[in-house]
Amino acid sequence: MNLSRRTRVATAVAGAAAFALLATGCSSGGGSNGSGDSGGDITLTVTTFGTMGFDDLYQEYEDAHPGITIKATNIDTGDNARTDWQTKVAAGSGLPDVQAVEEGWLGLVMQVSDQFNDLSDYGADEIKDRWVPWKLQQATDPDGRIIGYGTDIGPEGLCYNGKLFEQAGLPSDRESVAALFGGADATWDQFFAVGKQYHEATGKAFYDHSGFVWNAMVNQQPEGYYTKDGDLNVEDNANLKALWAQLADGAATGLSDNQTAWDWGGGKAFTDGSFATFMCPGWMLGVVKGQVTAGGGDATTGWDFADVFPGGPANWGGSFLTVPTQSKHPKEAAELAQWMTDPAQQAKAFQAAGVFPSTTEAQADPGVTGESDLTKFFNNAPIGEILAKRAEGVAAQFKGPDDSIIQSQVFGPSIQELDSGKADGTQAWKDAMDLLDQLVVNK
Amino acid sequence: MTSTLSRSRQAPPAPRPTAPAPQRLTFRQRLNRWDVLLSPYLYVSPFFLLFALVGLFPLGYTLVVSLNDWNLLTGPGEWVGLGNFTAELADPLFWNSLFNTMSIFVISAVPQLVLGLVIAAVLDQNLRAKTFWRMSVLLPYVVTPVAVALIFSNMFGEKYGLVNNLLVGLGLDPVMWKTELWPSHFAIAAMVDWRWTGYNALILLAAMQAVPKDIHESAAIDGAGAVRRFFSITIPSIRPTLIFVVITMTIGSLQIFAEPKLFNATTATPGGPHREYQTTVLYLWDLAFQRQSFGKAAAVAWLLFLLIVIIGLVNFLLSQRIASGSSPRERRRGRRAPEGRDALTSAPTYAEIQQRGL
Repeated sequence: MNLSRRTRVATAVAGAAAFALLATGCSSGGGSNGSGDSGGDITLTVTTFGTMGFDDLYQEYEDAHPGITIKATNIDTGDNARTDWQTKVAAGSGLPDVQAVEEGWLGLVMQVSDQFNDLSDYGADEIKDRWVPWKLQQATDPDGRIIGYGTDIGPEGLCYNGKLFEQAGLPSDRESVAALFGGADATWDQFFAVGKQYHEATGKAFYDHSGFVWNAMVNQQPEGYYTKDGDLNVEDNANLKALWAQLADGAATGLSDNQTAWDWGGGKAFTDGSFATFMCPGWMLGVVKGQVTAGGGDATTGWDFADVFPGGPANWGGSFLTVPTQSKHPKEAAELAQWMTDPAQQAKAFQAAGVFPSTTEAQADPGVTGESDLTKFFNNAPIGEILAKRAEGVAAQFKGPDDSIIQSQVFGPSIQELDSGKADGTQAWKDAMDLLDQLVVNK
Repeated sequence: MTSTLSRSRQAPPAPRPTAPAPQRLTFRQRLNRWDVLLSPYLYVSPFFLLFALVGLFPLGYTLVVSLNDWNLLTGPGEWVGLGNFTAELADPLFWNSLFNTMSIFVISAVPQLVLGLVIAAVLDQNLRAKTFWRMSVLLPYVVTPVAVALIFSNMFGEKYGLVNNLLVGLGLDPVMWKTELWPSHFAIAAMVDWRWTGYNALILLAAMQAVPKDIHESAAIDGAGAVRRFFSITIPSIRPTLIFVVITMTIGSLQIFAEPKLFNATTATPGGPHREYQTTVLYLWDLAFQRQSFGKAAAVAWLLFLLIVIIGLVNFLLSQRIASGSSPRERRRGRRAPEGRDALTSAPTYAEIQQRGL
């Protein structure tokens, strides 16, 4: 269970790239070629990951800014990009001029926020009203420095397979499906109830694996594994325990298909009817499309996107563009980062990769609300409009330094126990707490 | 060449009695003398300089890191002395990783040796197109481990993999290759074997070819069959090579990383959800780059280093014993054995190779 966002279709390539990274990471040298700040040509290096929809933007920027050359590196997954980033922080060299940073690493990033330039020095204060307030708040460090410009956010909606719903005797059009789960008041109880109904009718699983469900459940709480004040709060967290019981019950009933996330049998799991629903933040839509295509399916496979999410609004992922202090051209780099996260560019990135804009202006842009290849793929679902509604009420959750370890290495194994039936909810929770002690509390 | 000549020319004045000799030397002569004295060191120095740079320095630096509470991102913290070492030696996850490493080693080494011997024995026969067959067994070795890992990872997929499809097709239960202990060890051992068996077979073949044919012939005349000759002549004669192969296999296995890392590239806990196949190097990587405990990771690196040194010493002692012919087996076999060994003259070479390898 890998909860880093935006893993591309061919996850198998992930490791290969990690190795390539080790090799190239060492040789990529300092941030820029340092050919002079005044008047001369400047090369700006940019490191992104996954599918962020920036590919066509670089050329556009270069054309509009003679003298600036952009050298872009895209790392396949957020996890690999994080390893790359923190290795270069540790080494004290090698970071690019513009570094994309994922929401999931914020706990780490904030530990070393002095390694990033304060964008307020380069005009961030004038434009800070662009973003939804919680996005800006996430990028502000404890000293009030703005260290990143938000690119996208990950409001979660529900992907479902209309054809499979139909076969199970459930409604299949978007409005009825949203109502089926409870519309604006959708709860996890109702989600699991519908799941059981589906399971009884078909004998098949309802969702791919429990990891993404748990991730959504935790992410949508006002406080996750840490309190707002930064204290670890898992072991006696009644809220989390209750959610865990629901998750365990669902898995025990057979609602989880125990798939390997980011593998999904090379996409086959999305096309062979293994499961009927999927947790979909905006950026995941492109992933689903990629998986279905890789698995030999297309728009007729039946995937659709409903304006509903159990348990209320949830956000998963979303990124920022930062300017590390290692950069030799912070001014130019900040300019580039600002331009790339501009509402106009966010709309273009959405069209390219389905990454939902974090600026309010871009969210209303016709390029976002209108039709695209992605909307056609999802049975003409108005994806932009749905995501805008799903983003309403999302609040930033405090992410502690060990948040990603708790999510992946503490709860990951227990979720696998639930899915494979190796342990019941109580035992799996206990195992997770043992790991928590081992990996986080007594580290 | 010049240095050799100059040495003979300088030889007579070298005896000390004529004390003021150095004063009489011209600059050129002095240059020559320095040449003789220093050149050899200069010639061998690149290795030592490089080794100091990429071997000794990192080793020392790692030691310093391991004595600190060092966070990957925020840098050195408190000096904790041997705290990281004691913490790791008490950490069940560290022992788990050692167990996995050893288990994968044993599961891979035994079939690899047996298969390697069989392949070598077959290649040792009078085959047509010898070179073709010999190069063929080396082919898997040419493929990068990453590619091997990706292909095997796909084959051993739990739900959609080739192997499980076959098993289900035969009416058997699918095996959880990536989430259960023994199946995952077996799958990774299969990867290792696929890559290394041919390589080791060639080393064994080289040793087999050095076994004198006349021993085989006289044994055949005495009525020994091919199998008997293989076990009673071939295997005892190539024992030093066998031990060399086993030791290099051990050292390689202790450092196994790519295969378990990429076997399930998408898992958040490297080495399987419950660390079923998290080897020591993978554990070290996880400590440093996922859990940010750079200090503890450095301690694990040192523990691993010490373990490898111990295994290297065991190897050294073993090779020495074989070289001095004190092995009971050889004593029992009497006169014939030393001949075979002389023909091989391999044991010391392997010991040397091993020392260099360290």
